[in-house]
Amino acid sequence: MRKILGLVVLVGLVGLAQVEITFWSAPNPSQEVFWRRMAEAYMTEHPEVKIQVRPIPETPTSEAGILAAIAGGVAPTASENVFIGFGDELVRSKVLVAWNTFPGWQELVKARHMEETLKAWLFSDGNYYIIPMYVNAMLVAWRIDILRELGYDQPPRTYSEVLALGERLKAVYPDKFLWLRSELEVPTWWQRWFDFFVFYYAASGGRPLITGNTLTADDKAAIEVLRFFKTLRDKKLLITETLATGFEAGKTLMTVLGPWTFPWWRENYPELVYGETFVLSPPPVPDWYPAAEAIRTFADAKGVVMYAQAKPEQQQAMWDFVRWVLSDPEHDLVWVQVTGMLPARDDVATNPLFMSYVEAKEPALLAYAAQIPYAVPPFAHHQYVEIQELMGLECIYPVLVGELTPEKGWAAWKAAVEATLK
Amino acid sequence: MRLQGEARGWLLASPYIVSAILFFLFPLGWSLSLILFDWNLISPVRTYVGLGNFREAFTSARVFQAFFNTYKFMAIIVPAVLVLSLVLALIVHHLPRLKQFYAVGFFLPYLASGVAVSLVVRGILSYDSAFNELLRSLFGTSPRWLRDPFWATLVISAMIVWKLSGYYALIFLAGLQGIPRELYEAAALDGAGSFTQFRKITLPLLYPAFYTVLVLAIGLCFGIFTEPYVLTGGGPRFATHTWQLEIYYQAFERFRAGYGATVAVLNALATFVSILIIRRVVEAWGARRGFR
Repeated sequence: MRKILGLVVLVGLVGLAQVEITFWSAPNPSQEVFWRRMAEAYMTEHPEVKIQVRPIPETPTSEAGILAAIAGGVAPTASENVFIGFGDELVRSKVLVAWNTFPGWQELVKARHMEETLKAWLFSDGNYYIIPMYVNAMLVAWRIDILRELGYDQPPRTYSEVLALGERLKAVYPDKFLWLRSELEVPTWWQRWFDFFVFYYAASGGRPLITGNTLTADDKAAIEVLRFFKTLRDKKLLITETLATGFEAGKTLMTVLGPWTFPWWRENYPELVYGETFVLSPPPVPDWYPAAEAIRTFADAKGVVMYAQAKPEQQQAMWDFVRWVLSDPEHDLVWVQVTGMLPARDDVATNPLFMSYVEAKEPALLAYAAQIPYAVPPFAHHQYVEIQELMGLECIYPVLVGELTPEKGWAAWKAAVEATLK
Repeated sequence: MRLQGEARGWLLASPYIVSAILFFLFPLGWSLSLILFDWNLISPVRTYVGLGNFREAFTSARVFQAFFNTYKFMAIIVPAVLVLSLVLALIVHHLPRLKQFYAVGFFLPYLASGVAVSLVVRGILSYDSAFNELLRSLFGTSPRWLRDPFWATLVISAMIVWKLSGYYALIFLAGLQGIPRELYEAAALDGAGSFTQFRKITLPLLYPAFYTVLVLAIGLCFGIFTEPYVLTGGGPRFATHTWQLEIYYQAFERFRAGYGATVAVLNALATFVSILIIRRVVEAWGARRGFR
């Protein structure tokens, strides 16, 4: 009886001493699996910590879900899936904790080889509020099987080469298109990440659209991108209506692609094999782009933040957990295996731990790894939604349908953004 | 102990009262408390802007477009839904058997998920669908259904008409079943044909149902969200932008809760005033003709 009582008291004491923390993973099953697995492993080593992992409630978006939780006073201790633009909004609202204020920050940066990667995540107050989890460089996938039929053994590099390929395609397959991008005519702000920004960063050498609160865009590159889109559409090489299936069915030849597509393809389109039916390349560039220069692209990059609502002991416990997860490269390997995305590390393309896995299991990821040094994350400005939506409304749609020339469309966007930034 | 009189009434009404306080009055009060501020719900700084949100809304091209589009949708949806639901009700009313079965069948679109229906419609209207292939084989071209302002407006209106007609047909059906058969028999004895009976008996006696459907349909036009959200994002060029899309955009994408609440209040006011005016007009019209 005494033993049982003692056990009950002991369990009660452990429960009292236990720190309970909550981590919200991205609303994506594979990322939830990763964080659950990490939390379970950590809790077996650290019974004094209880970690609850849940996906971010998408009500209706993950950003809105996080915002509602903070407003309701029920924010988690930490969450992932935060990109730098939304992070800027959270920092301005003073709801985040800077990771670099915890002891051991520098050791983590070194252990995860993040010195270079982190430069893009520094906020204007000199703090790091987001630890990047992944940097998905956006690449262009090409149906190499059809390209070979058309007499090509590699994808085109410049706009002229793309248009020449398009002419050849239409001559042989009049019903096929080069590119399906139905979202190009939709003003939804985040869709610009997967069309305009991909081509703009390639054409401009990665020049930021906005620095601080000032427009710093490369006008020549932006206008050239718009003219390229317009020419593709006029020549019926770009289709902006919806197709039931495009690239996967071989009805289109190219698509802007992130690595998260591969698990889905494996399940639904096993006939799509890297090197046989498709290859990857950086985005096409204007003809005047230097041949020897590396081509940049947009990077879909998100990371982990900690919320100021959590109690100090919860923040400390979360920091210990996150540091434990990210300090061990084996955990990053699990990340690659589970999510199919590459971790945000400087050594991802050189570390044999990742490369041996990628070469053996997912060779298409090699192209993404090689592109990471040339991948530009979203710009950090709290008005990112309006700025990017204006791009669709004032510029891309009017240019595509012929209401404005590329020059006038770009000027209209700049004028609208300048009025917004005031 | 048995509850009597007022207490019993309050008890029976309490579920509605509690839900109205929780889900209507409290959010309404909360929204009203936001309209004078520029605030994203989480910042420690809540900037008082007075009537600044209203000034911005009254000069916003987006809000004006939502306001204008509502009446554009109304001009298409309300007549179409009135005619179609009346036709459906008449068909079901004159069926010799299985009336309930067909009535429920026509009601089903109302229960269908707006998102699911929108995705199906997107599939049907995709460039490579069998429908568009047929159009191209017949006419050499197919419309840009969701990328052309005219067609996008029409597609969204058609979806809403399809969704609502079965539901409103039930209201007309109830009205039709309430018309005494003797009136038609007497009219037939006086030599009135089917069309005259419909014009002189059915339509006037359906006035209450007509009035109800009209008010419901007008109110609904101010709440259009799912179809344009899924299919067009409010485009092309704001052609399908609505009040609800604007509120969603401001509150959940730009995180401007104060301004979003202001647009919501304006939406409520526009709805209230529009319904009030149309009610007055219809009531005056009905009174002149002796309809009740």
